[in-house]
Amino acid sequence: MSEAGSTQPAERRLSLLVTVLAFALPVIFVLVPLAIFLGYSFFSVDQGTIVYGLSLGNYVRFFTDPVFLPVFWNTIVLCVSVAIICILLAYPAAYFLTTLKGRWRYALLMLLLVPLLMSYVIKIYAIRSILGLNGFLNKALVALGILQEPSTLFVFNMNAILLTLTLLLIPFAILPIFLSLERIPQVLLRASDDLGASGLQTFLRITLPLSLPGVASAASFVFVLAIGDFLTPQMVGGISGFTFGRILYSQFGTAYNWPFGAALSVALAIVVIAAILVGERFGRNRGTSV
Amino acid sequence: MSALPRLSTIFLAAITTLVAVLLYSPLFVPIVSSFFTISHGNVDWSSPTLSTYVTLAENHDILAALRTTLIVGVCTVILSVVSGTLLALYYHGRRSGRSILQFIIFLPFLMPPIISGLALLIFFREIGLERSLLTVVIGHTVFVLAIVYRTVLMRLQSMSRTLVEASYDLGATGWQTFWRIILPNLSSAMVGGAILAFALSFDETMITILVTGTQSTLPVRLWAMMRLGFSPDINALVALILMFTVLLCVLAARFLIPRQVATERT
Repeated sequence: MSEAGSTQPAERRLSLLVTVLAFALPVIFVLVPLAIFLGYSFFSVDQGTIVYGLSLGNYVRFFTDPVFLPVFWNTIVLCVSVAIICILLAYPAAYFLTTLKGRWRYALLMLLLVPLLMSYVIKIYAIRSILGLNGFLNKALVALGILQEPSTLFVFNMNAILLTLTLLLIPFAILPIFLSLERIPQVLLRASDDLGASGLQTFLRITLPLSLPGVASAASFVFVLAIGDFLTPQMVGGISGFTFGRILYSQFGTAYNWPFGAALSVALAIVVIAAILVGERFGRNRGTSV
Repeated sequence: MSALPRLSTIFLAAITTLVAVLLYSPLFVPIVSSFFTISHGNVDWSSPTLSTYVTLAENHDILAALRTTLIVGVCTVILSVVSGTLLALYYHGRRSGRSILQFIIFLPFLMPPIISGLALLIFFREIGLERSLLTVVIGHTVFVLAIVYRTVLMRLQSMSRTLVEASYDLGATGWQTFWRIILPNLSSAMVGGAILAFALSFDETMITILVTGTQSTLPVRLWAMMRLGFSPDINALVALILMFTVLLCVLAARFLIPRQVATERT
């Protein structure tokens, strides 16, 4: 609004205020906290008090201690698996949505996205009760004769975290894939059909390549959300399901080592940024406009 | 896509059904248990009851947490809509420094909540701000700001410049143009952004756990209770919240999806 011929002093003052706010707000409440946080990773803790002296000790500990790197790696593998399973389930569902006409398409999309709005904590709790020894999953598997007796395989371990995160995050995979599939011009598919390609050929040569950007965004969304989650592993992971998020969180609780926790966060942030950049790089839609 | 063979349609429909079942089963459990008694994993279908809803009305602990959540939500909405709209107005049509500040605004939304939450936790400690509802509101606002900002900015960008130019040509001042032309055009985007902000704030758990003081919001209260297991009245609460959020979702869609897009697609 600066170009709005601001002749009145009141307007000019307001415009100045807005300018200051526009810069100050993001800097004070986002950049400064992150900078202090980064700074903390170079501090250390002695007898329960934080020592404000710079050292690389936390990072050395992260790379040399035999505990942290394996957990870090396992967590990355876990979250990549969650992303893959989510996509394998979300892709056919998103594809099915695009074959529907008009109102139905959006109604069904809405139906698949509504569970996102449901309380996260309650969903984790409900999933845990489904996966548990007396839960629905075990009952169903026993009834189908797949299992002889209820198994503890699905709760309080890494499997439980994998299943729970997958259930929680599928909608985040459906949306970007749906959007990229929907953007594919129908004329391309018709042209392929006219040129004698079979349905499968059209899918493999036209639809799939053009929808890969959506798949990349979906994978990056799901991965980032999964790796940052510390509630789910805490709740369904039991003792054996130890993830990086849990270790990080414990540094601010029971372990009480904020500087080390900050260093672990930096490691987490680097992986997350890498995932976002990969998603961004391959998530761009190219050549879908005709 | 009419040439799609029958078999693959059935396959796709089956997977979609499976996904829907997977997504809804966690919601189904608490809703069913809010009306029926469950013992040892078996539902007693014979006697539906509303008793859980009655006990809920007497659970002051939970109701207090619900009230706290609503207060935090309303404050977050007001703060984020005002500052998000201001930021969008400021950065609209301005190139210098926009991309970098836009990136900063989006950081808390992109970063895992544990990082945003911990950064704020340390920040509040450094500036000597006690953890309280104020810190929760700040945390939520920082988290949802990107969504409101983006919603309003997108509406601004799709707004025709000629509207503003016409207003000036007709002799309106900057203020008049803002109040009579720009703001009315933005209002539905602002309402949509507000609903999204409220929905996100309502369920925000991870940042809240880190920056909250003694008063906890509903998700944090539920999180604390979950270790011991829930009493049946929680199921009633969950059923009510689900209805409420579906309503919010329908409202948000109404305000955010422009009419012509909805008809164009059909």
